[in-house]
Amino acid sequence: MSQKVIKYFGRTTDFRGNTLWELVSELPNWGVGRMLIRNMFQRYPEPCYMRILKVQAVDEQPGEERKVRVTVEKTWRGVTQPKPVEIYSTSYKADYELVPQDEEAKYLNNNKKVEEVVLPTLIDLPPLLREFVTEETGNSNPQMKVHFKRTHNKLARLAKDGEKPSVSFGVGLGQPKPVSAKLYEGLL
Amino acid sequence: MLRASCQLLTQTALPAGKSGGSGFALEFVRWRRKPRWLPVAKSKMFRVPERKKQSEEERTELMRLHNQYKTQLRSVRQFLREEVVRHEETSTADHIVLTPEQEEAEFLKCVDINATWNAKIAKERDQRLAKEREDKVAYVQERLEARQLREEERREQANLRVLREIESSKTFITRENLDAAIETALANPVDHNFAIDLAGNLYRGRNSSQVPDSTPSSNQHALSN
Repeated sequence: MSQKVIKYFGRTTDFRGNTLWELVSELPNWGVGRMLIRNMFQRYPEPCYMRILKVQAVDEQPGEERKVRVTVEKTWRGVTQPKPVEIYSTSYKADYELVPQDEEAKYLNNNKKVEEVVLPTLIDLPPLLREFVTEETGNSNPQMKVHFKRTHNKLARLAKDGEKPSVSFGVGLGQPKPVSAKLYEGLL
Repeated sequence: MLRASCQLLTQTALPAGKSGGSGFALEFVRWRRKPRWLPVAKSKMFRVPERKKQSEEERTELMRLHNQYKTQLRSVRQFLREEVVRHEETSTADHIVLTPEQEEAEFLKCVDINATWNAKIAKERDQRLAKEREDKVAYVQERLEARQLREEERREQANLRVLREIESSKTFITRENLDAAIETALANPVDHNFAIDLAGNLYRGRNSSQVPDSTPSSNQHALSN
């Protein structure tokens, strides 16, 4: 008997796994305390996982994937969010995967952190605006404050006094990262 | 249908000069498109669009440029917003600083004006209320009189009706004169079966010669009972 060949056709997807309802409905006690991952976030070297805290079933809607309201404690790129997060509107995505309990250590022991981005506090104005401001105030090199909004999962921060920022915001192209330096060969 | 409508479109939308004059059979098909409500074409039904992969270096670089652009744009907007606020604070009349004495005087002046307004409005209100009260009293009085009149009229009507009933009760057939009434009725059978021609001649019925007109009152009473 020859090997059966499966031929796939149609559009491909980057999702891999099951919807949240498919996972949670099969488990004892709705899987509270178990660890989940989104396969889409496994592209990051830092640990991304969730732990189920509470599950609320939601009625099935005709013609749609069944959704479920799940409260999780979320860790994203090595940062655990201070408040529990509710997953509802994205629970239909077939991208969730349950972590077997003996493999949870793999995620818990991954201590990688995102490289910190330090933003400068002041940057140059755009050229035309700078001309206007110079004309109005007489200040030859006017600068503006960098917009920064503090959130609990932000990976960047403003530079403190005397600290050297890790990124520069010139008006020009800036300095490409070493990964993509090849794109500018012979240009810069 | 599609082709026809598109021809119409090209004809109307483009001037004659653009379609190359009358000598050339030049047809513009540039704006021809399947209307949105038609289903997917048969030839395209099983086409799978290709998903292009972005290389790592390209993705990183685009992300960096995007982040840089967004941060700069937000910073500029913040700068302009702050400038507007600063401008408003320094240039309008609302922000002229007053001394406490001036503020107090201003306040007292306002209170005075307010009191005058209040007094004036109170006077007007009192007048209006007095007038309304008078109107109300007059209205109530009028209604009371009208009611009295109505009542008297009603009483009078009732009296008249009672008198009329008493008057008519004299001819009622009671238990005492029942036999007499029956005898009268039997003795005087009334035949309504007669006819009158145009000349006024009366044609009597076959059975009796009695005509109802001859004894109207007694007959009618007999019939009604």
